[in-house]
Amino acid sequence: MEERVLLSASHLCKKFRLDRKNSIYAVRDVSLDIYRGETLALVGESGCGKSTLARLLLRIIKADEGSVLFEGRDITGLSEKALLPYRKEMQMVFQDPASSLDPRMRIRDIIAEPLETWRIYDDRRKIDDRITELLEMVELNEDCLDRYPHQFSGGQKQRIGIARAIAAEPKLIVCDESVSALDVCVQAQILNLLKRLKDRLKLTCLFISHDLSVVSFIADRVCVMKNGAICEMDAAEKIYASPEHEYTKYLLSSIPKLIF
Amino acid sequence: MNKDLLLEIKDLTVSVKRKKEAVPVVRGVDIDIPRGGIVGLVGESGCGKSMTAKSVNRILPPFAETTGGSILWHDSPGETTDLLKLKEKEIRKKCGTEIAMVFQEPMTSLNPMMRVGDQIREVLKIHKIEKDPAVSKERVVKMLGAVGIPQPELRYNSWPHELSGGMRQRVMIAMAMICSPKLLIADEATTAVDVTIEAQILDLIRDMCHASHMSALVITHNMGVVSAICDHVYVMYLGSIVEKAPVRELFTNPLHPYTRGLLSSIPRIGNNPEYLETIPGNIPVVRKPFSGCDFCMRCSDDVRKCFMESPEMREAGNDHYVRCHTALTGPDPGESKGTE
Ligand SMILES: Nc1ncnc2c1ncn2[C@@H]1O[C@H](COP(=O)(O)OP(=O)(O)OP(=O)(O)O)[C@@H](O)[C@H]1O
Ligand SMILES: Nc1ncnc2c1ncn2[C@@H]1O[C@H](COP(=O)(O)OP(=O)(O)OP(=O)(O)O)[C@@H](O)[C@H]1O
Ligand SMILES: [Mg+2]
Ligand SMILES: [Mg+2]
Repeated sequence: MEERVLLSASHLCKKFRLDRKNSIYAVRDVSLDIYRGETLALVGESGCGKSTLARLLLRIIKADEGSVLFEGRDITGLSEKALLPYRKEMQMVFQDPASSLDPRMRIRDIIAEPLETWRIYDDRRKIDDRITELLEMVELNEDCLDRYPHQFSGGQKQRIGIARAIAAEPKLIVCDESVSALDVCVQAQILNLLKRLKDRLKLTCLFISHDLSVVSFIADRVCVMKNGAICEMDAAEKIYASPEHEYTKYLLSSIPKLIF
Repeated sequence: MNKDLLLEIKDLTVSVKRKKEAVPVVRGVDIDIPRGGIVGLVGESGCGKSMTAKSVNRILPPFAETTGGSILWHDSPGETTDLLKLKEKEIRKKCGTEIAMVFQEPMTSLNPMMRVGDQIREVLKIHKIEKDPAVSKERVVKMLGAVGIPQPELRYNSWPHELSGGMRQRVMIAMAMICSPKLLIADEATTAVDVTIEAQILDLIRDMCHASHMSALVITHNMGVVSAICDHVYVMYLGSIVEKAPVRELFTNPLHPYTRGLLSSIPRIGNNPEYLETIPGNIPVVRKPFSGCDFCMRCSDDVRKCFMESPEMREAGNDHYVRCHTALTGPDPGESKGTE
């Protein structure tokens, strides 16, 4: 195993049943490496299996076939308990923020949870300082700490999810459409934040998005998926400048242009 | 009134209770939606777009209430009702049949215990639009296909959690469109779908507006979507409308510094800087006593006046309005006030 590979997946497959006769291959025979410190973007049409693949990589769900190595160690068959130490290093910001934040917890506790679980800081004051710092990073005001998730707008919930995910400084973060409901201005701030984290902390990021202009800004490499399989994976400049696969060309050609 | 309007939001105010204090989150919003027209509403995250939309069909969350203004519904040019004054029962009836909304968070607005097809069919049943179960099922399947769900017959039987994020959004859109509403409110309805399906859905909305005179209020942060389907755009900042204009006018001649900031923060393929341009500063906390312009702390060409008085909406010609002291006169208005 190469030192520069952080996470490596080989031949992952996942099938879901639609009804008694029909099933769908959400992920079929996917192999990929995620390098340390890179931002790998995962793009492709809605329903092609991006979120499912991310869940398989982080072992949130179990694959039917294939294996996942994190820093060279096989985590495919680990029990939930044995996975715990890996959970700190791999965080996911879910696509649907409303259903992934615990509605009964205040924002302070939601963000503090990973810090407490992993005992990052030994005293309360340091935790509070870190929370303040995280809120600033995602452009939220301190007055939101005592509120509950349902008291926030959609975009604010997305940012709370991001703050929680980066709280314990994981090695890998998966952002599933995490900036898609943000206005371009806050979106730019969050994208800059991710880029800064990458530059300074060598954060590795799997960035799922359907917005190809956002991807062009953030990604080092792009992986294009269709129907559960990878159809093209290459350096971002290469994909944008000279796409090889027909589907990639089609995707690039259908980006809505600002008409004016 | 020269335009044929379907909906007029007038001086709408919404407040939320926070620690026993009422905090205004929508402050004096005016929006006109013409019959058959598509109006875009853009603005910073948390500025009150969803609250404005939810006031129209009166589904504000607990702790939030409309504290002022009116929402006038013009059934026909002579017939007007204030939606805020309707009885609960009347507004629910209107919302099922004439006003449909696509919510920003599909998972929280779909019933997790019911197959998605049946959920859509329920709409037809409750509002007595179609009684025959076979016919209505067929209608639902057709609608699922129209919003780009592959294998709609099979997907009719899926549970919400079995769908991808973008598919759930499309189910919501199908549910809203199936009863051919007069007004569609789409709140970030295509954020999770890819460009090709987004285009298909936008076409569908546009077709319904042209063919059956549906009107739409489209809330989005995606300027590409705005430029593709909207006729008119409203820009919202911290609870109030700061600029409104016909779509082409807004893109070619943005006047408010916030709008200009919005347009310059869009990442563009091909010429990406090391870091994206952003508007400096934070979105301020709403504090009641402040009398100046809401944007003055983040504005580059602020003058003294901006800290002293809140600007009024002023016309800039071409049906273009802006709430800014300096946009029309340049950074140094001097004594010009009152001379126009
Ligand atoms: N728990 C499940 N049960 C059944 N089918 C599922 C389940 N989860 C996902 N699927 C199906 O797997 C396919 C891939 O879904 P996935 O959520 O990975 O798509 P996606 O690429 O993330 O799409 P989107 O961009 O719309 O979020 C879809 O057809 C979906 O319906
Ligand atoms: N139940 C609630 N209690 C208190 N405050 C709330 C509640 N719901 C929303 N808010 C606040 O009201 C403001 C307006 O929220 P709204 O949902 O209208 O924003 P939005 O413009 O739709 O933003 P986004 O683009 O992020 O969805 C936000 O600042 C939010 O924090
Ligand atoms: Mg997804
Ligand atoms: Mg909203």
